[in-house]
Amino acid sequence: MPATLERASPARARTRLSRPQLIRAAITAALLLFVLLGLPQLMSLYYIDTMTQVAVYSMVAVGLGVLVGRVGLVSLGQVAVLAIGAWVAARLLFATTQPFPLVLLEAGLITMVLGVVIGLPALRLRGLYLALITLMLAGAITVVLATVNFPNGGHGFLGYNGSLVHIPPIRRPSIATSDPAYFRYSVVVAILMFALVLAHIKTRPGRAWAAIRQSEPAALAAGINIWFYKLWAFALASFITGVAGGVLAGAVHYLYSIGFPTQDSITLLAVTLMGGVYSLWGAVVAALLYQFLPALLNNWGVSADWLIILFGVGVLQVLTTAPAGLADQVPRDLARLGRFLRNHVRKAAPAPTQGSTK
Amino acid sequence: MPSWQDFEPFIVSGLALGGVYALSGVGLVVLYRATGVLYLAFGAVGALGALIAWSLQKAGTPGWLSWLASVAVAAAVTLGYGILFGPALARRDPLVKAVATIGLTLILYGLMDLLWTTSGGQARSITLPTDGSGFSVGQIQVTWTQVIALAAGVVLTVATGAFLRYTKLGTAMRAMANDRDITATLGVPVRRVEAAAWLGCGVLAGMAGLLLADLVALDATTLTFLVISSLAAVLIARLRSITVTFIAAIVIGLLHDLLTPVNSLTNYRDMTPFVIAAVALLILSRHQVMSQSREEA
Amino acid sequence: MKRLIPARLARRTIMLAAAIALAAAGCSSSSSTSTPAATSTTPATSATPGTTAVSTSQCGSKPGVAATGTPIALGAIATNQPGTSFTDIPNMANAYFACVNANGGINGHPIKLYIETEQTNPAQIAADAKQLVQTDHVVGIIGNTSIIECSVDSSYWQKLGYYIIDSGIAPECYSTPNSAAVNMGPRYSSDGAVQYALAQHASKIVFDQSNVPGTGYIAAGPAALAKAANVPIVQLTENVPISDADSVAIKEVDDAGPNGAVVLNFTPPEALVILQAAQKLGLEDRVKLWGCSTPCNTDFLAASLGPKWNSKLFVNAELTPPDTTNTATMNLYKAILKQYGSAVSGGIGSFSQMGFTEAEIAVHALESITSGSYTVASVNTAFKAVSGFNTGMLCQLWTYGSYPMHIPNNADYTVTPDNGKMVTAQGCTQISSVDPQIAQYRGVAGTAPLAP
Repeated sequence: MPATLERASPARARTRLSRPQLIRAAITAALLLFVLLGLPQLMSLYYIDTMTQVAVYSMVAVGLGVLVGRVGLVSLGQVAVLAIGAWVAARLLFATTQPFPLVLLEAGLITMVLGVVIGLPALRLRGLYLALITLMLAGAITVVLATVNFPNGGHGFLGYNGSLVHIPPIRRPSIATSDPAYFRYSVVVAILMFALVLAHIKTRPGRAWAAIRQSEPAALAAGINIWFYKLWAFALASFITGVAGGVLAGAVHYLYSIGFPTQDSITLLAVTLMGGVYSLWGAVVAALLYQFLPALLNNWGVSADWLIILFGVGVLQVLTTAPAGLADQVPRDLARLGRFLRNHVRKAAPAPTQGSTK
Repeated sequence: MPSWQDFEPFIVSGLALGGVYALSGVGLVVLYRATGVLYLAFGAVGALGALIAWSLQKAGTPGWLSWLASVAVAAAVTLGYGILFGPALARRDPLVKAVATIGLTLILYGLMDLLWTTSGGQARSITLPTDGSGFSVGQIQVTWTQVIALAAGVVLTVATGAFLRYTKLGTAMRAMANDRDITATLGVPVRRVEAAAWLGCGVLAGMAGLLLADLVALDATTLTFLVISSLAAVLIARLRSITVTFIAAIVIGLLHDLLTPVNSLTNYRDMTPFVIAAVALLILSRHQVMSQSREEA
Repeated sequence: MKRLIPARLARRTIMLAAAIALAAAGCSSSSSTSTPAATSTTPATSATPGTTAVSTSQCGSKPGVAATGTPIALGAIATNQPGTSFTDIPNMANAYFACVNANGGINGHPIKLYIETEQTNPAQIAADAKQLVQTDHVVGIIGNTSIIECSVDSSYWQKLGYYIIDSGIAPECYSTPNSAAVNMGPRYSSDGAVQYALAQHASKIVFDQSNVPGTGYIAAGPAALAKAANVPIVQLTENVPISDADSVAIKEVDDAGPNGAVVLNFTPPEALVILQAAQKLGLEDRVKLWGCSTPCNTDFLAASLGPKWNSKLFVNAELTPPDTTNTATMNLYKAILKQYGSAVSGGIGSFSQMGFTEAEIAVHALESITSGSYTVASVNTAFKAVSGFNTGMLCQLWTYGSYPMHIPNNADYTVTPDNGKMVTAQGCTQISSVDPQIAQYRGVAGTAPLAP
């Protein structure tokens, strides 16, 4: 498939959406409305808290999906980036009285700057090397966090007071202090982040990333500044993950470095691959696998180890047979099932109208 | 700043730690050179073998038999993986092959925690007969096990380097790791060579696992993810030179332990492998883009 | 492509098998009250000779009569992740409750304990608490044992009026009005170990602990003790799991010097790794003595360490040593463990002792409710009202009380390994009031009398 290198004319970009696309958009909107309004009523607080985590990690997964799926860069350190975002947000929330959305923005921007600063020299590496260097950097950050700890209301740059007997909780936005309200808040933030990604994909960066992913030499020959666009992908992923860190800080109220071990980044990659890196829904599936399933199993008394095994199997399956992941495979399987059933029904019922075509 | 006296015992323990990193690191590079796969499940497979040896010993099996079983299981798992997933992924990027081994790692990790559950007050440990005796260097004792681990690293480096370079089977393995299809057209019995490579890797992982379980801890999490720290040495060698991996591992281990008495840095010493790897890679790549595409194995 | 198909089939089969296994596991497991299917790793420590065979029916008020009324729902949250598992504690409490339920229950009502496990994830822990309250409708919380649960949930329990009985670890388990622990926790247990070392005239203390939440809070206790005794103290932390025990042991010994003491605060596996490394390096005699907080108090550790550590390692024991005590309560504990404690993988040891003690206190409190209605208000009022209760497992009488903070267990034993078993080196000793938190607690609650 040749890379689409020609710049799309503005007129083509503003073509009317076709009917299937409209239907898909309507379904998505309906689903989002249901999640925002209906879900909190139906779920117990246990699952509302869990779904807030799903919202947080869907943002992390979509960032990782952009890196892996759109640009072909595998990062084994996104949980460390999330930790940085959470750290910055917690520090700001304790030290200042800034409104929560501003803190989220600042956490995202600072994390983005750090991501770019670290990403710049690392971009000289490719493929396996790049993946491994992200793992190394994540390991280093984890060790630093273990010593420096997360802010807990103390003073100084680090904001950590080790001898507190009462640790103050990280605050939430004044409009969303209860758990159901904070769930809605985090879903809204997630929707904004997804919209940001969508905006990127549909415009020039998305096309550049597609070209780079297809063939770097060809993209280079077409005049695309590869370094710039790769760095842009890094920046976008870091920004979104930083914002997710801020939402996480507000969700959990208390942050601990043991909550961000290096191996979690490996599991995160596994579920992102399983969910599907080429579709935004894949990120939601990944977050459901990563947070919702464990909560469900915990409730049923089933050990989380079964999930780890499932994730391992899932990675193998995705890499060998279904590279687009569940988000792509399930609709296709369902479509296939639908076709099979339709054919079956048609065979069962005698064909009344000979001339009908479908 | 601590004096030379203070540093001395840490040189010995640092060499021992370097031996630990070298065992995994060299194993990983050897596997990569022979199969083209960065076998990230190296630690998990070794841990599985060690836990099986522990269970067998508790049930009364004699030591040597349990170690044999442990290595056999590690070899079987690795061979099974290689046969099932090797061909399907053979044409893919080394990155994809490495990520696939992450899948195996997760499966083994979950399995180990299920079968050997963490119990509140108990801890498992495995002892090898060479633990009991040793000699002293300066003020501290060195056990024969640590010497064996270091020696094993050296022997592995020299022997596998020679094997891969000078023997027919070794050359066939290297060729296959580079490009499976072309090697097949040359008349090399691809499936057999591949099986031999994976089997050898499995045996290596099993033996390393036993040594590491003795030297570090018999704990699934520690042993499985120890491979992350060993990757530093592997990266510095750019996944190519076994000798550089060995030397890098020793240096990392030494540096890590030498930082222990330095009070301002001691809490950060666990960062040593990661920082060294990152700095080394950045230096190595300053003039050129470093990639590990298929053509460049 | 023919050769690929069998491999692909194999892969699909594996995936399918995994999915089926997962579904089967999900279907076959019961609700969260079920104890996790623990494949036994090590056999429980065998009962020491000389224990009189005790009928477990003593645990309830009506021996032999099964309770059939409406259940009283209680809840517990415990850490259960690779490397750290505290599920033995609520599981033992559950075993006690099973015994009570088989012998009359609480005025005919059986107790149903909902156990939630967590993996040190604050969001999960908060969610678990809400699950217990909103979905399981528990009226009391007993048996919580978690690295951070007290910190995460204490304001939630305060808001709802739950007074929990737990085995504390985090600072809030001891510093808030709504939690009273049966153990001393890492800080006060480390205090006990350091206190013993100071009493043996150690000239320097090296206090090394695992780098989990709360290190500053924990370190403050030994720091105060050392300062009051005019003994220098070196504070160290280690990232766990430890992968280079050798350098840890060398540093500790170097810092302590020949007349110093090394005091450890780690979970049993990590402490074992450090001590074994010290032994392998030949360092165990290079300091005056070694100390350890309560987690080291297991026969398993004593057996793994070997005779070189006899009277060399002194472990603070928060609970009465089970091997050398032959009281009715201790024998009841062992009997219940044997009959109902199949889910308690650690056997006889401080974890199951804590679970037993917490359940004992809860049952004692529930039996004092005369109104016949077991609501959040009545149950937690009863919990709070427990005063001067002789648990038979602790040095002192145990009191909850209406205090702003709770450290009801503040006197302890010191034990030392003796050829594979832990034996008492020093009887019940009060933790010194030099620790400001202890002083503050004794200021409001007084000093509890030692149990007879």
